[in-house]
Amino acid sequence: MKQHFAIALLFVAAFALPAQAQSDLDRIPQAANAPPPVPTSSANRVVYVQSDLTLNAVRGSLAVPLPPPAPPAWEARLFVDARLNWQIGDNLSLAYSGRLNLRAGDSLAFPSRESVRHDFREAYLTWQRGDWFVQVGRINLKSGVGLGFNPTDYFKTRAVVDPESADPTVLREDRLGTVMATVQTLWSGGSFTVAVAPELAHETPPYLSTNLPTFDPGFDRTNARWRMLAKASLDLPASPEFLIYREQGNTQFGLNLSKGVGQSVVTYVEWSGGRSQPLVARAFKDGFETGVLPWPAPMPVDGRKAFRNDLAAGFSYATDIGFDLDFEYDYHRTGLSGTDWRNWFATGGDPRFAGEMWFIRGYAADVQEPVARSSIFLRADWRNAFVRDLSLSGFVDADTRDGSGLVQFAADYDLSSRWTAGALVDVYYGRVRSDFGSLPKSASVLVKLSRYF
Amino acid sequence: MSKVAMLVLALAICASAAEAQTAREIVAVADKVRNPERPFRVTATVTEYRSGTPVDRNVFDVFSKLDPTTGQFRDIMLYASPPRDAGKMLLLNGDNLWFYDPASRQSVRISPQEKLTGEASAGDVLTENLAVDYTPTILGTDVIEDASRQRRTCWHLELKAANDAATYDRVEYWVAKDGDAPLKAKFFADSGGLLKILYYRLDGNSAPSQAIIIDAVDQTLVTTVDLAAPHFQDIPDDWFQRDYLPHLKIE
Repeated sequence: MKQHFAIALLFVAAFALPAQAQSDLDRIPQAANAPPPVPTSSANRVVYVQSDLTLNAVRGSLAVPLPPPAPPAWEARLFVDARLNWQIGDNLSLAYSGRLNLRAGDSLAFPSRESVRHDFREAYLTWQRGDWFVQVGRINLKSGVGLGFNPTDYFKTRAVVDPESADPTVLREDRLGTVMATVQTLWSGGSFTVAVAPELAHETPPYLSTNLPTFDPGFDRTNARWRMLAKASLDLPASPEFLIYREQGNTQFGLNLSKGVGQSVVTYVEWSGGRSQPLVARAFKDGFETGVLPWPAPMPVDGRKAFRNDLAAGFSYATDIGFDLDFEYDYHRTGLSGTDWRNWFATGGDPRFAGEMWFIRGYAADVQEPVARSSIFLRADWRNAFVRDLSLSGFVDADTRDGSGLVQFAADYDLSSRWTAGALVDVYYGRVRSDFGSLPKSASVLVKLSRYF
Repeated sequence: MSKVAMLVLALAICASAAEAQTAREIVAVADKVRNPERPFRVTATVTEYRSGTPVDRNVFDVFSKLDPTTGQFRDIMLYASPPRDAGKMLLLNGDNLWFYDPASRQSVRISPQEKLTGEASAGDVLTENLAVDYTPTILGTDVIEDASRQRRTCWHLELKAANDAATYDRVEYWVAKDGDAPLKAKFFADSGGLLKILYYRLDGNSAPSQAIIIDAVDQTLVTTVDLAAPHFQDIPDDWFQRDYLPHLKIE
C-alpha cells in the first residue's frame, strides 16, 4: 500500500512540475504577442491644457490689517502650457517654454486686459561644439539640491508670476527665465558653467495679481541689473557643486552636496554665504528706490552689511511601496529676527504703517526668500496610493520660532495617458501674531483638470 | 511591478556563441546581451497588463554604455511616452542616480529604492549586471518551455547577492545550453518569497525582442518589455553626468 502511495505521489509530482511551469506561461496575455503601438508623443515637445478653480478662505481679523485689494474669494484659470525644442542645424537648437493664461476672478474684471497673460518663461538658442555648449536667450538657470529652500538658486528672485500653488516644486517650474549668455564645458569628471545676465530694464515694485502685465516679457523682474554666476560640478563622492555669484558689487558663495546612504536614503546640504543686508532692510531699500515707500522706514531697521549664511540640509527616505518622505531644516540668516517680528506687529498695528509692513512680506515672496529665519520642511509623496494612478502628496513648512506653518495636501489621478484630474488644499495655521497665522489667507482649495497632447 | 526593472532585465539578453563551462562564465556570457560590446541606444516599450488587459504603457529611449572600470552599465533613460512624462530622464551611473525633470530643468539625486514611474524602482535597474552583483552556482540542467512554448534544455543556475548593489537576495536563472541565451529567471526577496518570473522571447536564438515579467505576488499583473533593434552609436563618457541631461535631445 505504501509503495502504491509513493508511486502515486511521484506520478502527481511528475505532472505537477510541468503544470506549474505551464501556469506561468498561461498568465502571459494574448495581446502581448502583438507588437506595441508606435507612440505619438515626443520627448522634445510637451504641451498641455489645464483648467483650474481656486477658492480662498480669508481671515476675519488680522494683527496687521491688509490694505486693499483683499485676496480674491475665487479665481479661475484656463491655460495652455508648452515646452518645445527644435533642432535647426547640426549643432544648433532652439527652445521655447511658456504659458498663455485666460484668467477670471472676483477681483478681476472679465473680459479685461488682465484676463489674458502670457508667461514667457524661456526662449534660447543652444550651440554645441564637442563638449562645449553656448546658450543665448531667456534661460531658466537653476541650482540647488534643497527641496523647500534653495539658497544657491540665485536667479529665482522675482521670477515667479502668479503661481498655481505654494508648493516649492511648483514655484521652481512656473517661473520666468533670465536673459543671459552661458558657456558650459563638460568632461567625464564634471562641468563648468559661466552665465552673464545683462541689465535690460529698470526695477519695478512687486506686482499685485490685479495689475500683472499681459504680454510684457517681464525683463524688469529678471534683468533689472547685471548678474554673473560661475559654477563647477565635480563627479566626486557627494557630487559637490561650487558656485560664485555676483550682483551689484555683492558676491555670494555657494555649495551643494548630496550623497546616497544605502538603498533608501539620500542626504543633502545646500549652503550660500556672503555679505548682505537683512531682508527687512533690503525690502525698505527696494520700496524706496522704486518709489513705493517713503524714507525713513517706520520701524527700526538693521541696515548693516555683514557676512550671512543660508542653509538647507535634509534627507529623503524612500520605501518599497512608493511612499517617499523628505525632511529638511532651513536656515535663512537674513530672515526676520524675534525683534523684527515684534516691530512688525507693533508698527503694523498702526493702520498708517500697515501697508509698509505688508510690503516687506510681499517683497519676500517676490524675491522667493522665506520670512522665517529658521524653518522645518517636511514632505511626503505616495504614488499609486490605494488605487492605481492615484498620487498623494503633502508638505508642511513650519516656522520654528512660533510654530506656525503651511500645510498642503494634494491628490492627482491619471484618468488616462492624457487626462489628469487633481485637487489640493492649503491650510495656513498659527496664532494671530505669528508668521503664517498673520497672513490674510487661512485656507484655499484648488481643483484642476489637465489634458496632455 | 517595476517598469524600469523590467526594461533592464529585458536588456539582459544574451546571444553569445561561446560555450559556457562554469557558472560565472555562463552568466557572464548571458550578461553580454545587455551589454553589447559597443555603446547602444534602444527604444523600449513597457506595457502593464491587468488580468490580461493592457492598462498602462510607457516608452523609453535608453542610451547604454559599459563602464570598463566597474563592469557596470551606465544608462540614460529618456521618457518618450506618456505625454505627461515626455522628456523626463533617469541617469544611472554607478551609485549616482539622478532624475531630471524638464519642467524644473533640475536634476535631483534619488535613492535606489525610490519609485519613479508607477512602481518602477531605480534600484532594480542597478542589478542589471548579474555577473558582477551575484555569485552564481550551477544547480543542474533542466528542460523548460520558453516564452514561445518551445522545449529547451537549459543550465539551471542559482545566483546569490554578492554586494549591496544587488536588489534581490536570490535569483534562479535558466540559460539555454544551445546558444547560451537566457530564457527564464525567478527573483526572490530576502524573506525567500518569490517576487517575479521573467521570460525572454527571442528572435531565433539571438537577441531578445521581448521580456515578459510575471508578478508572483500580484496574480493579476504581467508586464512586457518590447525592445526595438539596438542602434549602435558613439556615446561620450561625459553624457553620464547630471549636467549633460538638459542637453540630451533626440530627433
